[in-house]
Amino acid sequence: MNPVQQHEMKFADILASLIHDMKNSLWLVINTLESLAGEMESSADRQKLQTLQHEAKRLNTNLIELLTLYKLENERIAANIEELNLAEFIEELVLENRIGADARGVELSWTCDDDLYGYFDEGLIRGVVNSVIGNGLRYTRSRLHLSGEEASGFLVIRVEDDGAGYPQEMLAAQDAIDDHSALCEGRTRLGLYFAGMVAKLHRNQGKEGYIRLSNQGQLDGGCFSLYLP
Amino acid sequence: MTSFNFRQSELVSKTFLVVDDFGDMRGMLRSMLSTVGVKEIDTANNGPEAIDALERRRYDIVLCDYNLGPGKNGQQVLEEARHRQLIGLDAIFVMITAENTREMVMGAVEYEPDSYLTKPFTKDVLKTRLEKLVLKRQDLREVDQAVGEQDYDKAIQLLDNKIAARPGNLGELTKLKAEILFRSSEYEYAADVYERVLAVREMPWARLGLGKIYFTTGRLQEAQAMFEGLLQDNQRFTAAYDWLARTLQALKKDRDAQEVLERAVVVSPKAILRQKALGDIALANGDLAVAGKALTEAVSLGRHSVYKSAGNYAKLARVKSKSGDGQGGLKIIENMEREFQGEGESELYSAMVKGVIHADMGNREKADACMHEAARLYAKEGPHVAADLTLEMARSYGELGDKQEAAKLLQQAVRNNHAEPELLQQIENMVGEFDLGTDPKAFVSDIRKEIVKLNNRGVELAKAGKLQEAVGLFSEAVEAMPSNKVVNLNAARVLVMNMRENGVEGKQLGRVRELLDRVRKIEPDSPSLRRVQLMYQNLSRQGL
Repeated sequence: MNPVQQHEMKFADILASLIHDMKNSLWLVINTLESLAGEMESSADRQKLQTLQHEAKRLNTNLIELLTLYKLENERIAANIEELNLAEFIEELVLENRIGADARGVELSWTCDDDLYGYFDEGLIRGVVNSVIGNGLRYTRSRLHLSGEEASGFLVIRVEDDGAGYPQEMLAAQDAIDDHSALCEGRTRLGLYFAGMVAKLHRNQGKEGYIRLSNQGQLDGGCFSLYLP
Repeated sequence: MTSFNFRQSELVSKTFLVVDDFGDMRGMLRSMLSTVGVKEIDTANNGPEAIDALERRRYDIVLCDYNLGPGKNGQQVLEEARHRQLIGLDAIFVMITAENTREMVMGAVEYEPDSYLTKPFTKDVLKTRLEKLVLKRQDLREVDQAVGEQDYDKAIQLLDNKIAARPGNLGELTKLKAEILFRSSEYEYAADVYERVLAVREMPWARLGLGKIYFTTGRLQEAQAMFEGLLQDNQRFTAAYDWLARTLQALKKDRDAQEVLERAVVVSPKAILRQKALGDIALANGDLAVAGKALTEAVSLGRHSVYKSAGNYAKLARVKSKSGDGQGGLKIIENMEREFQGEGESELYSAMVKGVIHADMGNREKADACMHEAARLYAKEGPHVAADLTLEMARSYGELGDKQEAAKLLQQAVRNNHAEPELLQQIENMVGEFDLGTDPKAFVSDIRKEIVKLNNRGVELAKAGKLQEAVGLFSEAVEAMPSNKVVNLNAARVLVMNMRENGVEGKQLGRVRELLDRVRKIEPDSPSLRRVQLMYQNLSRQGL
């Protein structure tokens, strides 16, 4: 091992342990807020607390993204592919985001065949979809729908909303999303760059994962699709 | 769609142990579980407390944080709980991890938790996850039971029924099936299962499984290519390092094997068994620097682990002494004495290694006194002493120049392990190193002749139809040479012949299985093992 590698390893370890600590704090915050919300009499107060919870959750999602991106950049990461039941996976994501959705008055729904199994890195894909949901909750009008299906040899995870949709230049530029310049162009872009990188880590029989954006979803808003081989 | 059912949660009646070093976290987990309706919740603040709790009570579900402060971590709690069977086969162990600590945990060699939960999670996620785990366990209960009873045929049959009836979690069931087939040495069948999986999609576990079959059936070049390919795709796949190193060692490429394990411990520095393996091979390669580092790790990781071993301390002390640091070696032995308080083989290791260190430091009188004590303790170990211990003892005598005692122990080791090529190679090397015989090869082969003679006599008895006598002769021989492949196989063979003649009997069937398992560990690819295995299978089918 050369000294540079050693240095990087140390930095990654420090980063990881700091993030670990921050996430513990956030977890306490989120759960304390949840039990407080349960005790609230007035629905206005409850909603305030739910907003706080939602923001803490976003902070958490961002922290995971930050750490994962750092590791991706330094090639310290490989997808740990497991077989997972997609319906269970999506159900957990919906449960996790229920409070955030309630706080914003968004109806969060999902569909997935009970018998659909997928092969992917649970932690990484959870981070990606959480980030897309977090984004969706900000831009949608009243609904957000998650779905899972199999299409031409790919597992497809979709997040659709009934908001205004993705801006045209973003749709046009999506093939260049893995371009590093994306890093300095706003939060949504960063999230998509992250999603694209994570998708690419999933390979099977010569095929590689990818993401697609469109405005032709069932809900007439933005539609994010993650394709995993 | 989310289903709201009003039946009671599966979890209400379960007993829980929550392990976290952080009081607020424990409180939070407890309140989450209470909200679900769970009543039996115990908590532990750290690893040792968790083990105490597990010793006192059988829990259905353990929720354990990976980070538990100084001392044991969550993985070490899991290892000890499973290794010492402090939790039942059907108990559920959930590891709670921060960010993706999973890659750190994944480096473990032996045990994996049933599930990982990544912080932070809500109580709904916790509840849903646990309920699914409980249902899954219930679904596999009969299979688990059959595996526990080593009734692999039944386990496979049960799995086949499931696979046919409900292709939902097909992959998971298929993986389990292949693993059980491997364990029951149905290698061709297991390979077929893996190949079918791989024909549909690339699954690292299936490639690893196939590689293990190549290794076990002696297709070493193919095994090497398989494991190297896996590592090319994912350099964090620690199991592939372990198997690649074993393969390279079997190919007599010890330097390469060492290099592979050195890479593995960079990826996953916390696995004690891997550090020990690296220490051993570096020691064999004469690389004292690497051996010292790896054994230091093994010793320090071992302090809180169920894999703590006096042998590792002994080897480390030898490395220090050989590197010219006798005082350092004695210090290691002092630490060992403090850690083990006379437990197990620690006193013996202590005496024999001190003997060598004192001799290295030129203090002959002390050295002899230590060896005298070691000899007394060794005699107390009895005839079933582990090969490792015998070789270490022989090494001590050798280094002190007591050729006669060293030779005697090595003869005994050959007799016990006459079918283990790796060990015989070590013995041969030692005979040469300490100049114990003019011809190290003959040292081994002379003993082999003795055993052949004994075997022939037993086989002749069997041929003559004197099956009871043959059974008697071989069971005695197995006592004297418990790790001898041929003797074990013949003992199994005459037992099967005896049952064919005089009727199938459960206890004898169990004994045959035990003998065959022993042989499988020594030489899985032995064609004669396969033949006796077949005889056994036909017989046990008839018997049913």
